[in-house]
Amino acid sequence: MPLVIVPPPYQGPTGGRAEIEVAGRSVRECIEAVARAHPGFGEQVFDGQGRVHRFVSLFLNGAELPREGAVETEVSAHDRVEILAAIAGG
Amino acid sequence: MSGPTGDQIIRVDMTNLTAKTEPFPEEWKLLGGRGLSARILLQECNPKCDPLGPENVLVMAPGVISGTAAPTSGRISIGAKSPLTNGIKEANAGGNPGQDLMKLGYRCVVVKGQPKDRNKRYGLHVTAEGVKVVPADDCKGRWNYALIDHLATQYPQTASFISIGPAGEMLLKGASVACTDQEQERHPARHAARGGLGAVMGSKGLKYVAVDPGKARTRQPAQRKEFMELCKSYTKDYLAGPQMFKTGTSTVAVVANMLNTFPYKNRTAGQSPDVATLDGKNIIESFATRGGGMHNCMTGCIVQCSNVVHDKDGKYKTSALEFETITLLGANCGIASWEDVADLDRLCDELGLDTIETGAAIAIYMDSGGMEFGDAEGAKRLLKEIAEGTELGKAIGNGAVAIGKKTKHHRVPVVKGQALPAWDPRPLKATGVTYLTSAMGADHTAGLIVNPGLPQDQWVKASQEAQMVNAVCDSSGFCQFLQPTLDSIRNFYGLLYGIEVSREEISDMAWRVLSDEWEFNRRAGLTEKDDEMADCIKQDPIGPAKAVWDVPYELVKQAYTRLASSEKLFTTKASG
Repeated sequence: MPLVIVPPPYQGPTGGRAEIEVAGRSVRECIEAVARAHPGFGEQVFDGQGRVHRFVSLFLNGAELPREGAVETEVSAHDRVEILAAIAGG
Repeated sequence: MSGPTGDQIIRVDMTNLTAKTEPFPEEWKLLGGRGLSARILLQECNPKCDPLGPENVLVMAPGVISGTAAPTSGRISIGAKSPLTNGIKEANAGGNPGQDLMKLGYRCVVVKGQPKDRNKRYGLHVTAEGVKVVPADDCKGRWNYALIDHLATQYPQTASFISIGPAGEMLLKGASVACTDQEQERHPARHAARGGLGAVMGSKGLKYVAVDPGKARTRQPAQRKEFMELCKSYTKDYLAGPQMFKTGTSTVAVVANMLNTFPYKNRTAGQSPDVATLDGKNIIESFATRGGGMHNCMTGCIVQCSNVVHDKDGKYKTSALEFETITLLGANCGIASWEDVADLDRLCDELGLDTIETGAAIAIYMDSGGMEFGDAEGAKRLLKEIAEGTELGKAIGNGAVAIGKKTKHHRVPVVKGQALPAWDPRPLKATGVTYLTSAMGADHTAGLIVNPGLPQDQWVKASQEAQMVNAVCDSSGFCQFLQPTLDSIRNFYGLLYGIEVSREEISDMAWRVLSDEWEFNRRAGLTEKDDEMADCIKQDPIGPAKAVWDVPYELVKQAYTRLASSEKLFTTKASG
């Protein structure tokens, strides 16, 4: 099953879990699967219209996905979907 | 070749108004920035001294890598006993003075003593030919930007400056030390802000340091070819990555708000209803019509996280408007407009004030009933009162504890006398462990862990590892936003001096920095009682989880005992 990598700032809803295996055929399905199991997670990735927040970047097997159409990218069983959230102090 | 040789220490005696150089100890060659400051303070400063008296020692120390061709490596640490915490303090800044000092082979400036006539002002002029203390009464009382404009007429275009504004001259405990950025105008916009170190500089009558590198070249590494290859590959990898800070820190506001760590109205809530109007996205969008943009604050920076903010007429207003400033002077004061926060930021930079401490102080004043939350014009008036030296202005300029005492207000969110940064320890417990156990007090740059889901059994280790990584980063000259690891820093160190720096050695260096700082505080008289979270953070819940600080001290204090090093220690990125 594809593996979703949850960034540290988003591990509140997942109870500290950083890697979660889910069933899904696309990046969106994978993230939504995590969101169903961990309430509060989905809102951190998607806005009210189901679009990826602008401060979230998505990676597939280490390569950043182009923002346009990123969530519709197809995934297979051994893929790693990584979520990155921009966080800094300043 | 053995790498840079012939390095010097600049020693300044402000009692006798003399300056000299002496050889930098060979055994200290891997000691710079925060680590060097801690070592000098532990050896040469009476920890029980009056922070604003002649016995305090002010250290200005660039990092080990500063002045080389390594990317984003020119930060300078300012250190002394803090008038705010009464313990050791290090705050660091970007800009160009750190690199310029190092290009000249000056590893640090150590300032001692105090002029007999406290009304006099002095400058320090640093060149390849030497150093001298110069009269600067004509600079007395000048705000930072006017000061630099004035100094620009006296020193060459190649010079960079370290300075204080009126707040430092008035010995206010929220005073910062400014460094000029790499722009042609040399804006005094990069501040070593925390802990009141500007007041220490002011107590020594030192208004500015002018560093003129002339035609000095970058520092030459022992293994030049390999060092340059490392610089190139490191830069290439960074630019190929997500570049987390390419829109600056101000755009983090929305995420922080989502995580309940965007404090509102003196931290009575973790989210602000004004997040949309405070979001740094508005700043980015303003570039198209007003000008300004993202830039590098120091020569050779590849991160370029610093924004240059223009006003509605397209004129320069301030730089950089950071997340911490937007939070503390904005949301935490109930102020909804990023443009008002930009005005407040400029005023703080002009006066030479820490925006975190000042924002916290204004919020406490508002919370006490002295002013309505959200009164941006009132907040600007308050800052001007600081310059005027009114009693209220001085209380605000002296920080959160001072205004809390003056107003007898109960909600004063501090640790060791220093205001909490934006990152809130209620949802971020491991960061709270850092605030309590770092010798620096509540300082997110000492070891920030943004992970609200981290299990309890990992809080101490996460905090200790972050504190160790950041201690070395702040000693290296690298910016935390480049996010170097201990492994990458030891590689740069090794090629700079043609030596092997092992994982054991770099982790020992990290622990030594923390140990030196803790030892200074122990000698200063700080005890476990000073590792106390503010009552309001223990009592006022925030967020849907109604989070409070409820971590037992028995757990917190484990951070003082060195834990076994794991692989993660060496691959964890610096974060501040």
